[in-house]
Amino acid sequence: MDHPSPKSVLIVDDSRVSRMLIKSLILAQFPHWTLTEAVSGDEALALAAARSFDYCTMDINMPGLPGTEAAEQLLKMQPTVRVALFSADIQESQQVRAAQLGVRFVAKPVTQKSVALALAYFQG
Amino acid sequence: MTITGAQLDALTEIFNIGAGRAASSLSDIVGDEVLLSVPRVEFYRAHEVNANVLSLSSARLGSVKQKFRGPFNLTASLLFTEERALEIVQEMLGSQVQKEDLVEYEQEAMCEVGNIILNACLSAMADMLGISFESTLPEYSSAAPDLVIERLVLDADNPLLLVLHFNMLIEKRRSQGTLIFWLSSSSLQELMLHLEQFLSRI
Amino acid sequence: MEPEELDGGASWPLILDAVGLGLVLVDADARVLLWNAWLARHSGVSAQAARGKPLAAVFGTGLSASFVAALSNALRYRLPVVLSNVLHFCPLPLYAQTPADAATDRMPHAITMTPLVLPPWGACCLIQITDSSRAISRERVLQRQSDRLNREVMTDSLTRAFSRGFFDHFYQQEFARAQRKGIKLSLIMIDVDYFKDYNDAYGHPAGDKVLIAVVQALQAVLLRSTDKLARYGGEEFVVILPDCGEHKALAIAELLRAAVLALNLPHRKSGISNQLTVTLGVSTLKAGQTSSAQALLDAADQALYAAKSQGRNCVQRRSPQTVPAPA
Repeated sequence: MDHPSPKSVLIVDDSRVSRMLIKSLILAQFPHWTLTEAVSGDEALALAAARSFDYCTMDINMPGLPGTEAAEQLLKMQPTVRVALFSADIQESQQVRAAQLGVRFVAKPVTQKSVALALAYFQG
Repeated sequence: MTITGAQLDALTEIFNIGAGRAASSLSDIVGDEVLLSVPRVEFYRAHEVNANVLSLSSARLGSVKQKFRGPFNLTASLLFTEERALEIVQEMLGSQVQKEDLVEYEQEAMCEVGNIILNACLSAMADMLGISFESTLPEYSSAAPDLVIERLVLDADNPLLLVLHFNMLIEKRRSQGTLIFWLSSSSLQELMLHLEQFLSRI
Repeated sequence: MEPEELDGGASWPLILDAVGLGLVLVDADARVLLWNAWLARHSGVSAQAARGKPLAAVFGTGLSASFVAALSNALRYRLPVVLSNVLHFCPLPLYAQTPADAATDRMPHAITMTPLVLPPWGACCLIQITDSSRAISRERVLQRQSDRLNREVMTDSLTRAFSRGFFDHFYQQEFARAQRKGIKLSLIMIDVDYFKDYNDAYGHPAGDKVLIAVVQALQAVLLRSTDKLARYGGEEFVVILPDCGEHKALAIAELLRAAVLALNLPHRKSGISNQLTVTLGVSTLKAGQTSSAQALLDAADQALYAAKSQGRNCVQRRSPQTVPAPA
C-alpha cells in the first residue's frame, strides 16, 4: 500500500482536552504524521519560526493573541501552511472571508466530524 | 468527590463554546457586537453558597430556569441582579426606551436572554459529549437573594454545585458585568460520570 | 376517556381552530404541516395557502432575520426557544384586524418554539404565537408604544412597500451586520421617470394608482424574503439586498426595469417614451470591504443620477468608497 509522505501538524488550543482530542482523532487516521502542540498563539508563532508545518489547527478563542491574528501571522511566515480555525459559532458567510485569508472555519466542539472537515480541507 | 484537571478543562471548554454561540445570537438581536466570556468555572458545597460569595448583592435577584432531560437530568439557571438586568435590557433596546419602562420589559427580555444562554451552553455540552437533551421552556422568577439561593440549594440532591460567571459586554462601550450560570443536578455525579467516560475515550 | 379516543380524532382540528393563539407546526425543513384559524385570521394567509410551503415563503413581506435564526436553532439543537415582543418588533407580519384594513397596525406578539417528535412526521417544531398587546397594561407605556409605532410606521400606507422610517432603521441594522460579518450587501435606488409630468397630465389620483401598480410589479420580482422594497421619497424607492453581490444585483435591477415596462402604462408626457418607465442605480458593498452606510447610499444615488444622465429607463452602477473603520 502506498504511503504518501507524513505531514506535520501544529495544534493550537488553550484547552488541553481539545488538543488531546484533535491529536487522537488525527493519529487514528494518520498514525505516521508528526503532531506538535501549542497552548497559545504566541507559542505557536515561536514554534513556527523554528520549523515549518504542513497543516495547523487553531482555536479562535484563546487568552492573549486571538487565533485569527495568530493565523494571519503564521500564514505570512509560512505561506504554504493550511490553517483550520476552530470557532464556537460559524456563519456560512464567514467562509468567504476565510477563503480570502487562506484558512477555513470549522465549528467547535472538537468531534470526529469537525476534525474530519479540517482534514478534508488540508488534503483537498 | 474530587474534580480532576481534565474534567475542569472539559467543562471550561464546553462553556466557552456555549458562550460563543450565545454571543452570536445576542449580536443578531442587538445589531452590534456582543462579547460573552467565561473567566472561571467553580464548584461550591451547598452550605458555602450565599449572595456575597457569588457577587450577587442586590435587593432583588432574577433567575431564568430550564429543566433538561437526557441520558442524565440537569436543572440550569441563569442568575442576575436587577441592576445588571436593567442595564442589559437598556443596552439591547438602545437609547429609545425610557428608563421607567425598562422594569416592565425586564422579565420578558431576560427570559429570552436566559433562554439563549442556557440553550447555547447545554447544546454545546450535548455536542461535545455526543448526546442530546430535551428541555422545558424558560421560567422566570424574581425575589430577595437569600430566598432565591435557598430555593436553588434545596433543589439539588447533591451537596456540590457548579457555578460559573459570565462576563457580557455589549457594543464595546458599555459596562460589563456578571451573570451566574448555576447547574444543580439531580445527580451532578452523573454529569461527571459522563464526562469521565468521554475523557477516557480520548 | 383518553383524548385520542374522543370522536376518533375529529374534534382536534376544531379545537385547534378555536384556540385563542396562533399555532403552526413545521417539519424538520421548516415546511408548514398545520396552520390554525387564529393565524389565518391575523396573517391573511389561509391554511390551504400555507400548508406544504416553507414558512419563509408563506408571507409576502418575509420573516425577520432573528426569527429565521431562532427557528433554525430550534430545529438543529431541539431545545425550546422564546422570542419576546420586547426584543423583537413583530417578527411576523400579523395584524390586529384583517390586513386589508389597517395596514400600519401590526400586532405585537411573542413567540415560542417547541421541538416535538410526532409519529407521522418525525422531528417537528410547534410554533405558538400570542398577542402581546394586552400585556402592555399601563396607559403610559401604551402611549409610548403607539408613539413609537407611529414614528416607526412599518409600511407606506399608499403602496404597501416598507416606509422610509422602516428603511432608515432596517438599513442601518443590515449594514452593520454586513460589516460585522464581512459579507456583501447591495442597494438599488429606483426613480419613476417624469412622475410630476404624469400627475400634471393624468391627475394625482391616477398618479397614486400608478405608484401602487409599480410597487406590485417590483415586489413580484423580489422573491427572496430578506430583500426589502421601501418607499424612499415621493416617487423614489429603494431595495436592500442582503448578501447579494454586484452581478446578481445588476441582474435584478434589469428585471425590475423590465417589470415596470411590462405594465404598459401609457404616459404621454414622458420625455423619452410613450409609457411609464423607471431609472435604477445600483451599488454594492463587497465582501470584507470597509465602508459606511452613508457611502453605500451615496453610491446608489450617484448611480441613479448617472443613469438619468444616460437617458433614463436604464441601470447604472457605482462602487461605494472604502471608508476606514472608526477607531
